[in-house]
Amino acid sequence: MNELEKSSSVDSFDYILDFNTSSAISRIKLNFLLFYIPIIWISGLLLTSSFFGLIEYFDLWFMFPILPFILFGMYFVFVFSTMITSKLFLIFINLIHKPKQGIFRAEESDRDFKFWCMRIEIKKIGVWLLKHLPLPWVDVWAFRWFGVKMDFSSHLTDAWVDVEFIKFGRKVTVGQGAVVMSSMIVGKYLIIKECVFDDYTVIGGVSTIAPGTIIGKDSILGALSTTNYKQLLEEGWIFFGIPGIKLKPNRFAEEKSEIIIKRDVDTKTKYEIRKKINIDEDKRDLI
Amino acid sequence: MSKPSSLKVGPFTSNVMVRKRYVIPYLIIIWMSIFIVQIEIWLYWNLFYYSFQFLLFLPLLFISLYLSIIFVSLVETKIFLIIINMIHKPREGVFLRDLSDKDYRYWSLRNVIKKWPIWVSHKFPFPFMDNICFKMFGVKTKFRNSLFEGWVDCEFINFGKDVVVGQGSIIQSSTIIGDNLIIKKTIINDDVKIGAHSVVTPGTIIGRNTILAANSLTTMGQKLDENWIYLGIPAQKFKENRYNDDDIELILEESIEDIEELRKLYELLYFKRHDTSASVKERTQKKKTPSQQEKGKAKEKKQIKLIKV
Repeated sequence: MNELEKSSSVDSFDYILDFNTSSAISRIKLNFLLFYIPIIWISGLLLTSSFFGLIEYFDLWFMFPILPFILFGMYFVFVFSTMITSKLFLIFINLIHKPKQGIFRAEESDRDFKFWCMRIEIKKIGVWLLKHLPLPWVDVWAFRWFGVKMDFSSHLTDAWVDVEFIKFGRKVTVGQGAVVMSSMIVGKYLIIKECVFDDYTVIGGVSTIAPGTIIGKDSILGALSTTNYKQLLEEGWIFFGIPGIKLKPNRFAEEKSEIIIKRDVDTKTKYEIRKKINIDEDKRDLI
Repeated sequence: MSKPSSLKVGPFTSNVMVRKRYVIPYLIIIWMSIFIVQIEIWLYWNLFYYSFQFLLFLPLLFISLYLSIIFVSLVETKIFLIIINMIHKPREGVFLRDLSDKDYRYWSLRNVIKKWPIWVSHKFPFPFMDNICFKMFGVKTKFRNSLFEGWVDCEFINFGKDVVVGQGSIIQSSTIIGDNLIIKKTIINDDVKIGAHSVVTPGTIIGRNTILAANSLTTMGQKLDENWIYLGIPAQKFKENRYNDDDIELILEESIEDIEELRKLYELLYFKRHDTSASVKERTQKKKTPSQQEKGKAKEKKQIKLIKV
């Protein structure tokens, strides 16, 4: 049966991407240890030298009460040194081959695929170390450091994220267990496309976002829903389902915009204006 | 690639512990594996005490300590597992979820023993260590498979070459349903890609070169054919997998404009939870009628009571 079906005419619709897979690396190699061991070694050297310097400089009895703080600080020393060393590796690799969007072969002979795997593996250490801290806003440093354009106002801690080709606006929240992909492997092909999230967008828990989606301002994607490849979600709507379609206009966004911050150009000071939108126009003078 | 901190995946064993005494082998494994650390630190201290090399090789010492913990605990668990499997051989089937059932007890004992080495090996960003654990515990895998991002059971699973398990997806070989424990072998053949958030239940057999798309689920004992893309809850044939053909880069650049039509196609594939034939008004009437009937009955009862009085 299969052969008969295959021999029939093939449309371009057979090739169009109307489903999602995952962005996990397809092949794991021992070569990755070539990056891991030097990164850990160099950053560990910084850590040990700083610790022994502290012991030499300060008295042990002085160290004793503040030892918890020192240990916590040591963790951060280790994290930042790994970030710096892995960034150096990244710069070196990006000089050899620049990361770019597009569609590539997912084979070892393809240069783009090889370097994509390497980039992901190098970035993993720093992000992983910061993710396992009880401070939730710390990993934004790692994301910014490795090339995600985002602010400290947005929230990304509880999601699987590809750490490249992602743009964030202000105050974006990504829900628990969501998967934000900027790359995807389908069959023989590796697809890398940029994801863009505009200001005040909210993404529900356990939702998957395919590469190339653009989410407009003030729009919400509901929980357990997905977006299709290169889908454009308009601004000011709530989207829901697999794949997400318009559910209803986002009224919650209007209530939020009651407080408008304006800036006086001459004196360069900010001041707030309270503006009630949901009240009729005749009765606004009464307030 | 970056793992959520609140949803830490792994260890890949279920948390069922039937008897408290199963902690004893678990604690022995942890104690023995950390005992090795002490010996290694003592040796290192004696070799280069306060010299230049002491500082230089200290980070490498920590890596080797970590690796030695994993390997020692792996060997110990393997010995424990061999002893336990000699007493009672693990087998497939449907078992009673009760203390009296021998298979259920030994299943939970196996899970408790396997927990420590997998937990340790999973707490490292390098994705290679898990595969060694899986190989030692009897899961057939190749070292190059990436099983790092999902949740995979560690027995009764066969993996082929170049299998990818997506982020947050679950591959089971055992489940608990009501009072039953069901253990069934899942077989995943070469070049299978499993999408994000999808669940593979025990007993599924996935043919080679198929794709299980994101957010889909297979039923118990389902067989997925070769060279197809499966999608939906439960997974159904979506279209043929032609993505191994050459020269289709230009077509892949295109995307679907009319999402609502695609949604209609998806609606057919996903399981529906309401009666589609009835309209909204009829459904509301259906909901209302029993309660109204009950009210009527209550009124009748009251009247009857009144009459009786």
